Amino acid sequence: MVALGDGLRSPQQVSGEVALKASNVRKVYRSRGNPPVEALRDLSLSVTKGQRVAILGRNGAGKTTFLKIASTLLMPTSGEVSIFSMDVIKNPEMVRPYIAVVPQEGKPFYHLTPREQVYTYLLTRGFSKETAKSRADTVLTQMGLAESADRLSVTLSGGQQQRTMVATVLATEAPLMFLDEPTLGMDPFARRSVWDALRELTRQGSTILLTTHYLDEAESLSHRVYIVDRGKIVAEGTSDELKRKVGGTIRVTLKGQRGLTETFAPFGHCISSDDALHIITEPDRVSEILTLALKKGLSTTVGPVTLEEAFLKLVGGSIEDEI
Amino acid sequence: MKSSFLTRWKGLGAFAATETRVQFHEYLSIASSILVQVIFIFFMWLLAPRSLLPFALVGSTVFSAFVIGERILDEAAYIRIDHKLNELYHASPMSPESYFLGMGLGVLAAYMPPMVFLVGMANWVHPFTVSAALVLLGALIGVWAFAASLGYALSTLFKDMRAIWPYATLIFNLFGVLPPVFYPLYIFPAALQPVALVMPPSAAAALVMHTLNLLSLSTGEVVLAALSIIVETLAIFLFTVYWARRFSRER
Repeated sequence: MVALGDGLRSPQQVSGEVALKASNVRKVYRSRGNPPVEALRDLSLSVTKGQRVAILGRNGAGKTTFLKIASTLLMPTSGEVSIFSMDVIKNPEMVRPYIAVVPQEGKPFYHLTPREQVYTYLLTRGFSKETAKSRADTVLTQMGLAESADRLSVTLSGGQQQRTMVATVLATEAPLMFLDEPTLGMDPFARRSVWDALRELTRQGSTILLTTHYLDEAESLSHRVYIVDRGKIVAEGTSDELKRKVGGTIRVTLKGQRGLTETFAPFGHCISSDDALHIITEPDRVSEILTLALKKGLSTTVGPVTLEEAFLKLVGGSIEDEI
Repeated sequence: MKSSFLTRWKGLGAFAATETRVQFHEYLSIASSILVQVIFIFFMWLLAPRSLLPFALVGSTVFSAFVIGERILDEAAYIRIDHKLNELYHASPMSPESYFLGMGLGVLAAYMPPMVFLVGMANWVHPFTVSAALVLLGALIGVWAFAASLGYALSTLFKDMRAIWPYATLIFNLFGVLPPVFYPLYIFPAALQPVALVMPPSAAAALVMHTLNLLSLSTGEVVLAALSIIVETLAIFLFTVYWARRFSRER
């Protein structure tokens, strides 16, 4: 066990149960010649220490704006944010040793290798050379970057560069980590290695707040999910709690049949998406729906309700839609 | 108070070393950083009386310090706009002023060898006295700090890399090529000479040339040049430290 240097913060050094608390955060972007844009509208949320929390929303919903405000990178127009009971708005410098951020679509230094990127970043945060080296080795292996750890980042794929960024931040083992779309552009295997690393970090006491528009990521990774739309939180809870809000446990999807809502409405709650009609129902109604669908010659799939249906119902549109 | 001051610069050395490591991969860029100076010296050797060669050599060292400082304009903007690494470093214990100065010092360290080569050339053609060497050192530090501060502050104003290029060229020519940096102050139009003495690069060049007895400045001109470098550099450096702190959190 290597001791941390002066000024470094580990999850064990923070007290209290609440890692992050935001109250009525509002952000209005103003630029000359353009009408003001209200990106956040009285957003409030709370993140418990040691949890993985996802903010889910469409592009332009306000996820990144909130993450930047909470991570001391952007001033809100009004509202309060605290991290481990420290005021983020008034004392950003006090907060910064406790946090680390993966920026959205950030890239490592092209002329550093992943190993150099992680190692030098840890040095700038005050870690000793020994700790930085050992953590860089560990996290790069964990992220599946061991073989490419000594190649210049400019020669790596976009997914590998993104993994390097995530590795850089995870190696800090900061008490609170912010990850803005951390698995964007990664293949399924890489995404799972990131998820595993995040699970391990929360087991050790770190807290993770991430934004994503991957529903499966939010569902399988998060203890708690906040769904944000047009700058407001429209729902919150565990994945199961959110799915229960849909009004059923089984989803029957009729591909390419948005117009049959009235026909299938008696069997459950109907939600139309871009190219399908989803009927949210209970197991005992499935056979009736399938019989009717077969009579009409419709292509159907059946499965458990997922966050996708919850999102569709709560937001009224697909997560792939632009706002 | 002392510990607070020290905390403020935490991470400076490590970030400077990071930046140097990054820059060393662009060795062609480092080598070409003295291309303009060498070409200018060549033309002076070719076309001007030999007595003007030491002016060009001294000027090239001062100009190099300015160019190295000014590189932070591109570097800071590139890291922020293309890589978003500013967010990685700002949301960390490293202070925003360490980020700014670390970047500047890192670039300086990487680009030092070509500048040292020019200093060596200048010393070979017109050997420095101890006092001239000290004045040169002070002048180079002042000019570099001025250009680095100006470059960093300006870099924060842009959202598109392509928009930076004309401004970088403007600064490069306005402060380095046009005023009497490579050539003696007395060739410059008399009415504009006081202006040249309040611009740090030309003021620095004039001071070093004066100390080497290449140029004769009045006491008033020496005071004006020295004060210009000190006051302007200090002012813009302190402003940039303040601005770096403010800019670490967007409004």
